[in-house]
Amino acid sequence: MEAPRMLPAAASRPGRSTPQDPPLARYGLTAIALGFIALFIFVPVASVFAEALRKGVGAYFAAISDSEARAAIRLTLMTAGIVVPLNVTFGVAAAWAIARFEFAGKRTLMTLIDLPFSVSPVISGMIFVLLLGVHAPIGGWLYRHGIKIIFAQPGIVLATIFVTFPLAARELIPIMQASGMDEEEAAIVLGAGGWQTFLRVTVPNIKWGLLYAMVLCNARAMGEFGAVSVVSGHIRGLTNTMPLYVEILYNDYQFVAAFAVSSLLTLLAIATLIAKTALARHVAPAAPARENNAAGSRLAA
Amino acid sequence: MSIELRNIGKAFGNFVALDDVSLTVATGELVALLGLSGSGKTTLLRIIAGLETPDHGEVLFDGKSAAEHGVRERKVGFVFQHYALFRHMTVFENVAFGLRVKPRAERPGEEEIACRVHELLKLVQLDFIADRFPSQLSGGQRQRVALARTLAVEPKVLLLDEPFGSLDAKVRAELRRWLRRLHDEIGITSVFVTHDQEEALELADRVAVMNAGKIEQIGTAEEVYHRPANAFVHGFLGNVNLFHLRIDNGKVFLGDTAVEVDTAHGHATDGRKAVLAVRPHLLEIITESTGAKSFPAIVKSINPAGPQVKVELIAQSGDLVQSDVGHERFKSLHLQIGARVYLRPREQKLFIYQI
Repeated sequence: MEAPRMLPAAASRPGRSTPQDPPLARYGLTAIALGFIALFIFVPVASVFAEALRKGVGAYFAAISDSEARAAIRLTLMTAGIVVPLNVTFGVAAAWAIARFEFAGKRTLMTLIDLPFSVSPVISGMIFVLLLGVHAPIGGWLYRHGIKIIFAQPGIVLATIFVTFPLAARELIPIMQASGMDEEEAAIVLGAGGWQTFLRVTVPNIKWGLLYAMVLCNARAMGEFGAVSVVSGHIRGLTNTMPLYVEILYNDYQFVAAFAVSSLLTLLAIATLIAKTALARHVAPAAPARENNAAGSRLAA
Repeated sequence: MSIELRNIGKAFGNFVALDDVSLTVATGELVALLGLSGSGKTTLLRIIAGLETPDHGEVLFDGKSAAEHGVRERKVGFVFQHYALFRHMTVFENVAFGLRVKPRAERPGEEEIACRVHELLKLVQLDFIADRFPSQLSGGQRQRVALARTLAVEPKVLLLDEPFGSLDAKVRAELRRWLRRLHDEIGITSVFVTHDQEEALELADRVAVMNAGKIEQIGTAEEVYHRPANAFVHGFLGNVNLFHLRIDNGKVFLGDTAVEVDTAHGHATDGRKAVLAVRPHLLEIITESTGAKSFPAIVKSINPAGPQVKVELIAQSGDLVQSDVGHERFKSLHLQIGARVYLRPREQKLFIYQI
């Protein structure tokens, strides 16, 4: 959170490191950093678009308007559409509870929120197969009642929720902790009810953090491969999300199509990055910076 | 509306914030809760507001228990220490908030809200900044907006937590006088918390001096300053020198000089502790002994900067004390560091208590 605001300050002190560091180290380190970014980020990203357009724009659009491609895109969008609101709701609830209340098991809750980050996505997928697969007790019971979870969209949604749920909570906890309870208490003393306080005071204070969390959550939900791969069953036109569809195309030697669909995910990533950078600026001046801003504006006046 | 607190107790874990506190505030009165941080004064204020629940004891408004009333129903106004203005709303919207969240049946129309908000902003002399955001205001302006916002819902009781705590000295003095005038104008029962004795003494009708979760004394500024109930109150209100006395066979000694004891201060029985308290401006330096009414001391340091000369001395009791001497008088004394002199209190307080 703090990093984006720290950078300009550090950059505005150019003379600080020059006297001690020899030019070789300075240019050498800069070259290594830039070289790495070129080699591992820029070249691959450029090659995705180059490969996708190798046989021309016509082939590119043909690949992404194919019926199976459209089904994969639709499934990915639907999954993200379900997962993002659910996880943001969970994130707000968890952040509220952790930032505002003292309760037994608070530490455990915070540790558990991080769990999906520390478990391999493939294992996350396996957990759902073992729990809800046709041969598992719960999954079997559901199957006999006509509800199919694994190798169907519900399974994909569940696996995606699991791998993305820390994102919103982790984003909102520090914001809510920093802004404190004063404004909410003020609202309640002024006669506002719980919902009025939440909608009129809490949400406006965390709105940039909420948007930021949505962007991150959406990017991860659309790009998730491992966990979804295990639970999806790879049924073409039915349970293939975009990342899974890319893999199938690639294995079928349909490189142009594979890269064309990949380019959509890459564009999503770039859009996410831009949105993230734009939002970070709003998220950073949360509560602690309030006094500084005020002092600054007083000085300016 | 009158407020009555009966035997309020509150602990946070092992820390006892309030220990059996009782207090009555009459309708229209302005009472200060004065104490150091950690003395429980803010907790007491929050309990009155309903923001905290006491472990035991009762809060009564106009003689009726407030226990079953939540924060919303108590009709209290609370001004937070850091004002807690809604930072995403303009000054106008901040003040209008309490009116906008009223149940539909009681909610005034848009025109009435605008009229009322401007009236309040005029009252706090800030009508010209209605469109600004809290971050664009100075500390004093924020504080007045917070007050206007609180008054918008016409509370029966006004509670202020360190109302001038984060303002600079000049603004503070100005706002203090202004708040007193405002209180006299609208006559609302008010309680405020402060750690600043000057603020409490100047502003409040009555001052409750708090220490370690208890009220040490409650009375008018006159009473607590000139007739302090104990050494803590005396020491807390203004600078004071403490001479630790020795009790021997029912007589009280400072070093080897006997001190006259008025029995009203308690009986000087052995095993009790006695303290003589004298304010620096009431502790006179003389060069000749006057018998039982003066005590020998040695000059330790002299600081002539300021309207009075501050002389530090070591008394026979071993206590380091300060005497404030006028410059004229100081010149005629010809004091040197290390000189043997006598101290004569022009006014003194003797406190005797159980150890």
